[in-house]
This record gives sequence, structure tokens and C-alpha cells, in this order.
Amino acid sequence: MIFDIAVLGGGPAGMAAATEAACGGARVALLEESPAPGGQVYRAPPLGFVTKPDRDRQEGDALRAALAASGATIHTGCRVWGLGGGPLVPEGQANTPFSLSALAADGAPFTVQARALILCCGTHERIIPFPGWTLPGVIGLAAATILLKAQGVLPGRRVVVAGAGPLLYAVAAKLLTGGASVAAVVDAATQVEWLRALPALAARADLLAQGAVWRAKLLAARVPILAGAQVTAAEGDNALKRVRVGERIIEADALCIGHGLVPATEATRTFRALHVHRPEDGGWVPVLDAHQRTSVPLLYAAGDGAGVRGAAAAPAAGRVAALTALQDLGIHAGAPERLSTENAALARARRAGAAMARMMALRPAMIEAIPPETIICRCEGVTRAKIEEAAAAGAGTINQLKHFTRCGMGPCQGRMCGEAAGALLANARGVSVADLGFATGRIPLRPVPMASILGDFDYADIPVPAPAPI
Amino acid sequence: MKARFDAAVIGAGVMGCATALFLARGGMRVVLLDRGEICREASGVNAGTLTMQMTRAALIPYALHAHEMWMNMPAWCAGGDVLATACPGLSVAFTDAEAAMLEERARIRREAGAPIELIDGRAAQVIEPGLADGVKLAGHCPIDGFASAYLTGRAFRAALQEAGVTLMEAIPVRGIDGRFVLDTPAGVIAAQRVVLAGGVWLEDMAAWLGVTLPIKVLINQLVVTERLPPVMRTVLGVASGLLSLKQYANGTVLIGGGWQGIGDRARGGLAVRPENFLGNVRLAAHTVPALRNARVVRSWLGLEAETADALPAIGPVPGIDDAWIIGSVHSGYTSGPYMGRILAQAILGEAPELPLFPINRLLQERSNAI
Amino acid sequence: MSLRLPNVARPAPVTIMVHGAPIVAYPGESLAAALIAAGHWRFGEGEDPARPRTAFCMMGVCQQCLLRVDGRLVQACLTPVAAGQEVTPA
Repeated sequence: MIFDIAVLGGGPAGMAAATEAACGGARVALLEESPAPGGQVYRAPPLGFVTKPDRDRQEGDALRAALAASGATIHTGCRVWGLGGGPLVPEGQANTPFSLSALAADGAPFTVQARALILCCGTHERIIPFPGWTLPGVIGLAAATILLKAQGVLPGRRVVVAGAGPLLYAVAAKLLTGGASVAAVVDAATQVEWLRALPALAARADLLAQGAVWRAKLLAARVPILAGAQVTAAEGDNALKRVRVGERIIEADALCIGHGLVPATEATRTFRALHVHRPEDGGWVPVLDAHQRTSVPLLYAAGDGAGVRGAAAAPAAGRVAALTALQDLGIHAGAPERLSTENAALARARRAGAAMARMMALRPAMIEAIPPETIICRCEGVTRAKIEEAAAAGAGTINQLKHFTRCGMGPCQGRMCGEAAGALLANARGVSVADLGFATGRIPLRPVPMASILGDFDYADIPVPAPAPI
Repeated sequence: MKARFDAAVIGAGVMGCATALFLARGGMRVVLLDRGEICREASGVNAGTLTMQMTRAALIPYALHAHEMWMNMPAWCAGGDVLATACPGLSVAFTDAEAAMLEERARIRREAGAPIELIDGRAAQVIEPGLADGVKLAGHCPIDGFASAYLTGRAFRAALQEAGVTLMEAIPVRGIDGRFVLDTPAGVIAAQRVVLAGGVWLEDMAAWLGVTLPIKVLINQLVVTERLPPVMRTVLGVASGLLSLKQYANGTVLIGGGWQGIGDRARGGLAVRPENFLGNVRLAAHTVPALRNARVVRSWLGLEAETADALPAIGPVPGIDDAWIIGSVHSGYTSGPYMGRILAQAILGEAPELPLFPINRLLQERSNAI
Repeated sequence: MSLRLPNVARPAPVTIMVHGAPIVAYPGESLAAALIAAGHWRFGEGEDPARPRTAFCMMGVCQQCLLRVDGRLVQACLTPVAAGQEVTPA
């Protein structure tokens, strides 16, 4: 069967897109990597876990309930590794339906085909490396949120929270509530930067109030807040023991650190959609029209994967993408009014999101401060010094840097190091990050176990092509 | 217009780089241009196989010389290194039909100078303990090996600079007016000689000179695993040539063999074909069962050029003095640096160590546009 | 003090074997969370002492938390705990 619309990613954008599309009369399939839809912010607790629902949980539950009632086919716990079809066809052939190759939760392979594809792939964390960031006990800020909110586990008993953006205070407050001691909050932003963000944030009074509550909690617990500061080293033998912030040494058994969010563009890159580098959106993002269309026909992107605007802005974007796809497929002609409503909602939610995204944009001074022997590419063990050596030896693009150093060639395929490596290379070459290009998108989207895709086969069944001439 | 350069080499792949390097070492002022970056097309993304058992018989004498060059690359390339590793090579047959094919191919290659002996499956497993059971016959060649092809650009770059070659990356040549004025976005570049070294784009380049040289484009798929404990220690292939398998020192296993993906000259390597991806990894896992425990990290594509008779296009461009061409060498990476060396010898007026592959045989029609 | 938040109702605990020693965990929680809660931040040695295996992104991206469960390579952050799992380094 060929679905009308497939949605890749079951975060707030994906849930809303699939719901809107299914309610609009399309046959819809949603594919999500986690055991339940929700995404990172609205993540559901594991089955059988019960917690007091907070605001995010309520938002997530509402989206989950609507999705469940929509009639969309939902694949959770699946690993989508292969992308094909669409524009990926031989020369001169018309586009074909999109195809997604996946492994189900039990490891069984399956394929979903669809006429249109909405990518809601979310973000991953940006980390600006520092000595010791690879020590056990150092964890991402978004990772800490997942650990605390979805899993109900504290990362440590005495924790340093560091980096940039509102997640800092959310994580610190949550740690205090959970009974941990917060040894310090190390905020890359200065008070002045926060004050400058205020007018835009005022569009979301709820967020402002929430932020005030978090700060009050930290104040009451006398948590030191180091503004305009950054972690200079994490130290310990087998695991984290101490965090250095300049001259200051802070004992800690966990460090939660993140420097913003990076849109996950591997799928749009694989489909050869046009991309543009926009630091305020988190880095490289697919070029979209006003209705979430990418440059590839019948391929749409929504949510943070199309530019970081936060979970609150994502559902409206997902709905706009779905309504546009319904129109483009000729399934639903009555969508224009809905579209303008959702577009207005999107514009409002985006203003606050944009202010937050600016706080989380990559900070050049932090890149400059990375000591030469610091590991940048964790998969391959490539240091800043090696990247700069490659730059001096002639590496002038991200793809060339990969060849010169293996930076970004490991299992994460540059998702964790790409931002820092790009900034370092750009500085060393005296060009902008946009001039370096981005890593070519290739399948698999995630490392895929050979055993799972091989299946049972006989040697005689392998369609070995005709041999080359001798 | 006064020529700034004695020679302009267009296309900075392994053959263009080697030609430019040896021309410069021979005393010429050389400019090497590429529309992209040095060795970022086939020369940087191929499987790095340095084997005799996938090489066309006619090319084996060249490949043997090139093998030696690869293994000693730092010595002639100003320290540039592609981590070339010598190891035995095995080409295996799982069926009677493959065994027959293997016998014939091994014989022809042996006659061409490759020291290939035929052994049984058990003997093959002694040489390669990672090899599956069920091998009926194997070709064993002690001269084999592999390189990290992605290092090729880095390896050549320093040597080119040391030799005084002017390397112009990201400068696409748009055409050639007169003898020889190259039209580029960076302005015109004049050279007394021109060498076309454009891989699958040779057809377009030949057209600049009014020469029609049909070049077929192969879209070869490659797949790499994440780092694994040692599972193999040879270069492994199958009788048909449609598998190349080796494990690098860093533990990654590269799976190739020329299974075809989707792409073309204009769009490059666009996407792997899922059914060919599956076929290729199944063939690999059938040959080295321990690969079942691996995870695939990435696939990609490399564009290989092929002439009508699948033999190289290396030599003068007929009818146009001082215009030369190099490319379309089957398993071209293996033989590449040696091909560049002998073409440079010819351009420098010396007798090449081994014969070139003149393209007269391939030309359908010709007009002297210049 | 337990690292597990007290105000979460969980299913009945189970035992899993981690590098040969039993730990208590809750079915459905991620293996990465279970290991962290048990004080096992170091999931394996990896190939470089400077980059041991551990949880970092918790969302399936970074590939640092690779482990074997009953011999199968998995990402600990994406793998739910189930009774009797045998966890060994990748």
C-alpha cells in the first residue's frame, strides 16, 4: 500500500502533522524512534510509570490523544534507516513515491511508501567541547531533561548545570525539586543578554512566568549563578569529580551542559533539498516557502528540524505542512482558511522561539577558547589541533575536512561535532561557516545492525550483477 | 596571448595530480585545476582496493608498478601518505560456475603477470580465517592491498605545492578557446599544453576540443561499517569481481564491488539503490560471516568512467598538438599514479616506460574546432 | 540517597546483569537511565581511554552509549529495560 502522507518523527510537529493530515482524509503513516510519540520536550514516561503531569506532559498528552484518535498508522520504537524515492530517481525519470526503510521495535524490517513526506526530525544538542567533556558524568542539557522528566532519574547528587539558553534554568530547578544539590549554574549569557531578550519573550507570558519561578527556586536554594561564564574543564579519573570554571573548582558528580540546539537535517540533505545556513535558526536548515514546502516537490519540513523555534511553535508548523500537503495532493480543497489560522499561530509562537534561539546561537568566543588538544569529534578522536592542521594543509570544506581528518566520519556522522568543527574550520580559513558547505546526506540515517537488514537469504538469491570485462 | 603555464591539467583526481606532479618535476610550469576540491570525486571516495584480481588483464603490468608506487608513496610524494597496506588478496568462488570463471580469469591475469595461484577453500581459510565455509576455489595473489582513498587529496597536495604546481580548487573550467586559453570564473588561463583528466566528465572536456569521446558513467556504491574488532586480514573479492572487502587498521570494514546506485554526470552520485545496497551487504556477510555483528554507518557513491571497450583513454588527443587526455582506467585508483607518471613521460618527450592507450580507436567523429 | 525521583510510581523492579553483576532496574525505563541510577556512568572502555562509552545525548544521536544486550549491539538510551537482560560492553 502507498500512503498519501508519511510523517517522519513523532514530536509535537510530527504528531500535529499526522493528526491534521489524517483528519483531512489522507492515509497517513507516522514513524517515530521512541517507544511513544512525544518528542524530547513532550516525551511520555515509560509504560507503567506514573508521575504528576506538568504543563509539558499535558500538552504532550493532548497531542498524543488527538493522534491516537486520528486514524493515522503509527509506528513507534522503529529505526528509520533508509530513504529513497521522491527525487532520488535515475536521470530523466519522474519522481516516485517516497520510501522509508525501517526496523520495527522487534528488529523486523519494513518499508513505508508515501506520495508525500513531512519531515519532523527535531534537533539534537550542540556542544562546544572543552577538556574533559568526554568523561562519564558529563551529559547534555536536553539529555538531562529526558533523564529527569521522562525517566525520573537524577544525573547525580551534586550537579553543575552549564551552557546557554532557558534549558539551563529548567534543568537546575528540576534537579533541586528532585532533591539534588546544584553546585552552580554556569550561564554563557550575561544578564544584559537576558534583558535584551525580554521584549520578544513577553509574547509568551507563560514562559516568562515559568522562568521567574525557576530563578526564584535557585535563589532560595542559594545556588551560585555564574553569568557570562563557561566551563573550562571537567576532571576526574573514571568519572567526573570536578568542574573548572576559570580559577574556580567545583566538586560535582554530574555536569549537564549544552550550548543550544541544532536542526536534524540528515533527511532533507539526503533528498538533496536546498539548504541555507542561518545561525539564528540553529545552523543549516532546509529552505522552505511560507507553507513548509522544501525545494523538493511533495517534501515538507516542520518543527525544530526546519529551524529551532521550540516545542510550542512546532504543532502549528506541523499542521501547516499537513494542510499544504493535503492541498498539493488534491485530497482536501477546503484547507486555506485553516491554513491562515495556523499560519498566524505559527508567527506568534515563532517570535518567542526566535528570541530563545538567539540566546542559543553558537558563540564565537567559546569556540576560540577551546584548547588545542581538546577532542572535537568524539567518535574519531579528532582534536582542535588536528582540524586546524587540516585547514592549514588545504581542507576548505566540511566534506574535505572529513577526508583530511576523519572528523565526522564515525557512528554519529558529525551530528555531535559538526557545529564546533565547522566553526573551527571557518575561523582557521577566515571564511564563514556557510562557505564550508555541509556534509553530504547519505543513508543510513542511523547506524543499522547488519544482522537486522540481512534477513534470511540463500547465496543463489543474491542478484549479483554481470561481471566486469576481463 | 602569452602562456603563463607550460601545461594546464584539468581535473585534480589521482591521475591529474600524478600527471601534474611529474610534469612539474620534469621542469614544467604546471597549473592543476578542479571544479571542486582535490581528489574529492572518484579518487577520494573509491574503495581504495589495490588488487590485481579486479584489474583488467591488459592493465596488470601497470597495476603492478602502481602497487609499488602506492606502497612507497611517502618516498615519491613528499611524505604524502594514503596508509597503503600490503596484504594477500583472495578472490573466491562459492559455486561451480564461479569456480570456472575464476579459473579462466586467474589464468588470463597470471599470463598478464599477476602471481595468482588457485587454492581450495581450506587453504583460503588459512590465509583468511574470517572467510566463510563453502568456498570451492580461491584465487590467491600475494601482491594485493588497500589504501585509505579519502586521504588521497591530502597526500598529493603538499607534494604538488612543493613541486611548484599551481593548484586551483573550486575553479570550474568552462571551455577552451584557441590553443590553449582556458575560460574560468577566475579569468582566462593560458597554457602551451592541456591535459584533460576529468574522470566521468572527460566526455564534456573532449567536446571543448571538438572531439566526441563517449564515456559511460558507472555509479558505484560503497558501504562502510563502524569500527569492529579484527574480522579479516586480506582483501577479499568474489570471482565475478562484484565484491571488494577489506578491514582498515581503524577497524572499519569497507564493502564495495561496483554495485550500481542512482546518479549521473550532472547530478553526481545521488542515492544508493536499496536493493543493491542489500545485495552488496548480503554478499559481504556471506563471504565474511562476522560482518553480521557489524553496524553499517554510511553508504556513498563514486562515479567511474568507462570507454566503449572498457580500456583506458591515455595519450594525445588526435589532431590537436599538445592536447592530452588521461582517464577511464578500469579500477583506475589502483593504476592511477603510474598512469600519470607514464603520461607525463610522454608529454615531456620521453619514451613512456609502458605503452599509452591512444584514443583514436574510440573516436566516432572528429572536427577540428580549434 | 537514591538517584531515582521519589514521586514517580514505577512497575515492580526486576534484576538485570550488568558486566556480570546484578542491578535492580524498572522494566520500561531506558537502560541508560537504569545504569546511571545504579551508579554505572562508565558503560565500557571503548578504544581510547579519553573517550570511554557513556550516556551523553540520551536521544539516540551520539552513539556513545553503545552496549550489548544479550549479545546484540544496542544504544542504551533507546533500549527499554526488561527482566533478565545480560548487559556487556560493546
